Amino acid sequence: MQDLFTEIWESVRRNKLRTCLTGLAVAWGIFMLIVLLGAGNGLLNAFLNDSGDFASNTMMVGGGFTSKPYDGLKQGRRIALTDHDADLLKTGPLADRVDLVSRSVSRSGYTMTYGRRYFNNVTLNGTFPGDIEMNRVKMDAGRFINDKDITERRKVIIITHLHAKNFLAGGTDYDKLLGQKVKVGNLSFTVVGVRHGRENEDDRDLYVPYTTIKSIFGLNDEVDEITFSFHGLTTEVESDAFENEVRTTFNAAHRAAPDDRRAVWIWNRFKQNLQMNKGRSILLTALWIIGLFTLVSGIVGVSNIMLITVKERTHEFGIRKALGARPGNILKLIVTESVLITAFFGYIGMLLGMIACQILDMTVGQSKMEIFGQSIKMLDNPTVGLGTAIGATVVLIVAGTIAGIFPAMQAAKVKPIEALRAE
Amino acid sequence: MLIELKNIHKTYDNGQPLHVLKGIDLEIEKGEFVSIMGASGSGKSTLLNILGILDNYDEGEYHLAGKLIKNLSEREGATYRNQMIGFVFQSFNLIGFKTAVENVELPLFYQGINRHRRHEAAMAYLEKMGLTDWAKHYPNEMSGGQKQRVAIARALITHPEIILADEPTGALDSKTSVEVMELLTRLNREDGVTIIVVTHESGVANCADKIVHIKDGLIEKIEDNRQHHSSMFGTTTIMK
Repeated sequence: MQDLFTEIWESVRRNKLRTCLTGLAVAWGIFMLIVLLGAGNGLLNAFLNDSGDFASNTMMVGGGFTSKPYDGLKQGRRIALTDHDADLLKTGPLADRVDLVSRSVSRSGYTMTYGRRYFNNVTLNGTFPGDIEMNRVKMDAGRFINDKDITERRKVIIITHLHAKNFLAGGTDYDKLLGQKVKVGNLSFTVVGVRHGRENEDDRDLYVPYTTIKSIFGLNDEVDEITFSFHGLTTEVESDAFENEVRTTFNAAHRAAPDDRRAVWIWNRFKQNLQMNKGRSILLTALWIIGLFTLVSGIVGVSNIMLITVKERTHEFGIRKALGARPGNILKLIVTESVLITAFFGYIGMLLGMIACQILDMTVGQSKMEIFGQSIKMLDNPTVGLGTAIGATVVLIVAGTIAGIFPAMQAAKVKPIEALRAE
Repeated sequence: MLIELKNIHKTYDNGQPLHVLKGIDLEIEKGEFVSIMGASGSGKSTLLNILGILDNYDEGEYHLAGKLIKNLSEREGATYRNQMIGFVFQSFNLIGFKTAVENVELPLFYQGINRHRRHEAAMAYLEKMGLTDWAKHYPNEMSGGQKQRVAIARALITHPEIILADEPTGALDSKTSVEVMELLTRLNREDGVTIIVVTHESGVANCADKIVHIKDGLIEKIEDNRQHHSSMFGTTTIMK
């Protein structure tokens, strides 16, 4: 075995250019694959960052305008949802699939003050306890709105950590704010919780109990949005059917045509999530295909050079055969050399690729882009799992071996006299 | 009888069939020094390649040390070449990225002999060739004569039945040619090595005890040259 390695080491040492070219093809293939997959992962992570921010089995319904005349009523009529509409979901035929129902009403344009610090143009969002689950509200401190807040119409408020940080002059000990009074307009609220606002979306709504906002502003039974969660759906078709059912139910209750798609708007997060997952898998597949083609180009590079190598060394193999080398000796020599070179340079390419991914993470991964007023990370964690990287390297090594075997078999078969004549 | 050729025929078929050997009968005893002479195209190199199991033949029988050499697999051919035949080529055929001693070791490598013993044996033969100081040099650092002596050391290292030399002086100047031929002669005289030299130079052929003249694929005559009077340019020089 040591003799074989000595043989290979001699041949590699004396044929540096050839070795380097083979190595370059291999290392480049792996390097590109890893950087590509890493960047692709980063892109996916960045774009799909928010998908985990709400429960995917929810829908939101809001009032709209009718787009066609129906039941003697003209088109363009405004549909306002009311508290009663929530009952459509809880009773009616949809009830067996609906879990939680929440309503919300919001009022904006107020100023919130705490001591000397204040925020202009804040939005008060009256909502129900179920919202914490359906909108995946993350609490940094304290609690969310509870049932007692609703029944007693307490003047409690949930602020975001962005407000809290400002109120604490940059501090993060949000617990200090719990029980403190803040003023919104000229009304005083008690802070009971600090939630984590999504920085990407400049998410700064203040949450108060639904019943509180209704009573203090003396609002009628009109509702801005109804959010509800459901169960039992798996496919996009089922989701569409369910969405239609919801639409016809609401339309019927508001005397709009059953197929009027503008009377109420529905945000089907379930379907959106399905589509997002689909998009994600398509993008991933595309990335892998590109990556594999890059790998193939590396493999082609290896086989190409193995072919040239074998041709170049035919005379040498002729000498070896004249001296008593059996076909197996020649085959083993070429294949082992091919495997060692591919493995060595594949490993280097893999290391460099992973370093490049880290550099990408530290540079582009930290910068943000402004799109439609939202700041979005361009790449988020653009790295490849170690398993994937090693897998790709192993694939290349195996392929490099196969690429080496065919020319090697050719060389092993050549008659010694023909090999000796080659120059 | 070390070598026994019976009615050997060989035809090359490169588009047009070319009948190179048309029935060669030849017997060579152990310890003989034979040269095969002939013009280019006479078939002498083909004959040597068949003797060296580098090429096959179409008809007839070739016995080497009692073994019939016919329709051998690559594997068997390699083993016989390794154990029974030492080659000396016109263009030396040393491996360029190996040092002199590594080149000499190579046949033993294919016998599976361990590194230490290989190296020792190779050094012993290089010493015999007067090349101890050149052991660590690469072929491109050596003169033609030195390279040919390395090749001879490599041919001898397995103690083969025969040494086959194909135009061993073809790439050498006349002085070096004489040295190499003297070396081969000494090996034959002192160590009893059987040597077959293919050449078209009469001076080279004259070193041998027996000269086989080949013409148009047939043996024209076998000349007894124990007196070494065959060269028309004198007995001690090799005319280039």
